[in-house]
Amino acid sequence: MAKKKDSYSMIWAILSIIVVFVIIKFVSPYVFKILLKKDHAMPTPSTLMLWYMILGVLGALVYVSTSDLKWASFLSFMLPTEDDKTKKLLQKMIVIAFPLLLGWFVYSGTVPGTASPVELRIQHPTLLQKYEKMENPYSHVSEDLKLKYIEEGKILYQHNCRPCHGSKADGNGPFANAFRLRPINFTDPGTIGTVVESFAFWRIMEGGPGLPDGSTPWDSAMPAWEGTLTDEQVWKIIMGEYATAGVVPRQREEME
Amino acid sequence: MRMKKYELCNVLKFLKLFIMSIAAFILSTQIGYSQTSQLFRTYKKEVSSKISETNEAIEAGKKLYEKKCYYCHGIKGDGKGSAALRLDPKPRNFVRNEYKVRSTALGELPTDEDLFRIISSGIEGTAMPFWSSLSNEERWQVVYYIKTFNPDFKEKETKVTADEGNIVPESPESVKKGSELFKEAKCIHCHGKDGKADGPITTTLEGVWDLPYQARNLTKGWLFKGGNSVSDIHRTLSSGFNESPMGSYAGYLSSEDRWHLAHFVKSISRGMNTEVVLTSKIAMDDLPTVPDDPMWDTINAVEIPLAGQIVAKPRLWMPSVDSIRIKSFYNNEDIVFLLEWDDKTNVQDETYSDAVALQFPTKIPEAAQKPYFAMGDSGNGVTIWQWRAYDELLENKQQKTDMNGSATATDGGTSISEAEGADSVKNGEAESDVKVPDEGANQEGVAEQEPPKPKFVGFTNMQEMNAKGFKNVALQPSNSQLTKSMGSWKDGKWKVMVTSPIATNDKKIDIQFENGKLIPYALAVWDGSNSERGGLKSVSSWYYLSLETTTPKSVYFYVVIAIIIGTSIQFWVIGRVRRFPPKV
Repeated sequence: MAKKKDSYSMIWAILSIIVVFVIIKFVSPYVFKILLKKDHAMPTPSTLMLWYMILGVLGALVYVSTSDLKWASFLSFMLPTEDDKTKKLLQKMIVIAFPLLLGWFVYSGTVPGTASPVELRIQHPTLLQKYEKMENPYSHVSEDLKLKYIEEGKILYQHNCRPCHGSKADGNGPFANAFRLRPINFTDPGTIGTVVESFAFWRIMEGGPGLPDGSTPWDSAMPAWEGTLTDEQVWKIIMGEYATAGVVPRQREEME
Repeated sequence: MRMKKYELCNVLKFLKLFIMSIAAFILSTQIGYSQTSQLFRTYKKEVSSKISETNEAIEAGKKLYEKKCYYCHGIKGDGKGSAALRLDPKPRNFVRNEYKVRSTALGELPTDEDLFRIISSGIEGTAMPFWSSLSNEERWQVVYYIKTFNPDFKEKETKVTADEGNIVPESPESVKKGSELFKEAKCIHCHGKDGKADGPITTTLEGVWDLPYQARNLTKGWLFKGGNSVSDIHRTLSSGFNESPMGSYAGYLSSEDRWHLAHFVKSISRGMNTEVVLTSKIAMDDLPTVPDDPMWDTINAVEIPLAGQIVAKPRLWMPSVDSIRIKSFYNNEDIVFLLEWDDKTNVQDETYSDAVALQFPTKIPEAAQKPYFAMGDSGNGVTIWQWRAYDELLENKQQKTDMNGSATATDGGTSISEAEGADSVKNGEAESDVKVPDEGANQEGVAEQEPPKPKFVGFTNMQEMNAKGFKNVALQPSNSQLTKSMGSWKDGKWKVMVTSPIATNDKKIDIQFENGKLIPYALAVWDGSNSERGGLKSVSSWYYLSLETTTPKSVYFYVVIAIIIGTSIQFWVIGRVRRFPPKV
């Protein structure tokens, strides 16, 4: 009796692997879309996909081999059967599907084709020493004066930065779609909120060309504003930019 | 003994499942995932429940307005904010009734809901963002404050809604009817025959009288103001745009006809089909010979969005061309590209000429590192091929005079080529002199297998340059100028066909198109009528070109071997298990 009941465990193992695949491939992009409140699906990266599938297969194998009994019933699916028509059909399906899958695997591996370009980048490169000690000259002025400078900075921001970074600093300016490396969304707390003001000063002054190689300077459309804007203007823009985005710069840790 | 068998089976079973998972992974990567990151603002019709229009609400709206909106729309609401200088189209002036996207009849003020929708949706192609960062309540407050700029909002309470009529479903007949109405209702006078905004009125207003009125390019669906659904288009046809040449057609066409027209307009609009990798298709027979070759219609174009060049001075804040389409074919000798973009006018002079440029890294990068996307950097150079409408005109004219004058064009080649030397002058006239010797010099390598039938008849030379940054641009020596091009302008659209040998002898300065490589490319477009020249241009970032490959027969051989091995292992395992059945 027990044998009959458990003899489908290989099918269950395969099915559960397929279910894992379907969830990661087709369901999770939409779950993450809703959870992270994005307006597009979030496809699982293919390397992650591979590891999840390996884990899924290992999990299934660990399960079917937890006891000799389970392992035996797992293998017993391969035994001939007389009366069970479904089992016969499933056996045939596996016998046909396995070599085909293998063939498909070899085909995709060897067929010439160009892979998608890999464009990994470091988002927050290390701040150059030159800028490390730099301080915003307007950080210690009176509150009234500060408000005035912020306003001047906001106007400068709208003039010079708005086409790409957008009127509300969300990285959606009219030019944004043209750059595959999208202009930074300053309202995202993971961007300018995590750096000190002098970091922003460095990025504005040296732009894309001033980035280290790991940050793919060749893709960044950020202009180097050195020579166009004065130091004072850039500090004001930084103040205006943080204010427009509604985030505050990271404060420097006090060194003892 | 039996235990050992078990272990063996265990391993094999594991292998089988592992391979299956790999296959599943491969399957999962088959569905392409393009890395474009376009986010087009769309017209959202949902409106949240209104708050009451109290003085407090207006006051709160004023505070928000003076914190977020006035940079463009001005502190007085007159559209003269400080940022307006670099905006095209200009920000809305709230003092006048120049509201465009409305549900009300022409000349009427918009409803509160209309204003709310625009604040929530933003307008694609303009600086107006979608104010998702404001709460619904805050958006209403801003709506109420904006209304205070124009006293008519208080005085004229009743608003006439634009007539919707009964919806006519889409059908080929309706689209056909609409296409006739498009001519009858004189839409073509502004929007142009093919909807590319190149109608005679538009070009006169803009080009001759310098009035900032631009008809919408109806082929670019993502740029429609107030949405691009058929009902949105119908609404625009019914309501018209206040204070613009786009009037209401409610009195002129019946609602039914407006639906037909809307279906037609929808049918000529397209979405932006951007792909990170452009595939150059193998041409089995001959390559296309002219820009209008029907062969080009057999493949799909990739559309690349463009932005003003703002990386270095001089910066272009208000570009004219916002996208370009590209297609490509190749055979074992040449690669050809077709570049298509919309440009209302074809007016050329020496300084301000329509132009397009293709940029490649001089050497295909091995790793991820590429030259700087804007004309390379000191470490990594780029090759640039530039076509200029004016140069082409000049060269064609020159060739005609040559032909008429004497037969020098056919035989005089090589001797002048040596005299020209390496430093050719970067100027139209000099170029056309270089033209003839080039023919002789370039063909040297290919001359033997060259059939008597000449390739690319009527094409002129492009300017081939090498750059290592903006300030470090050099024209290639005349005997290295191998790329040729032919432009054709018709009904508000440029088509420029570009050709280059797949491989050249100048490996140090020319890109070599290799199979199986991802070849970065970037594009730039100049619109002479918009006073664009030099650094004032529309640019794209890096995209990739890949030459289509045929599947070698060996692949199928490997597949067959894999299937045979797989089948044998499988039957061996099954046989083992059946001979020594597991004890349950």
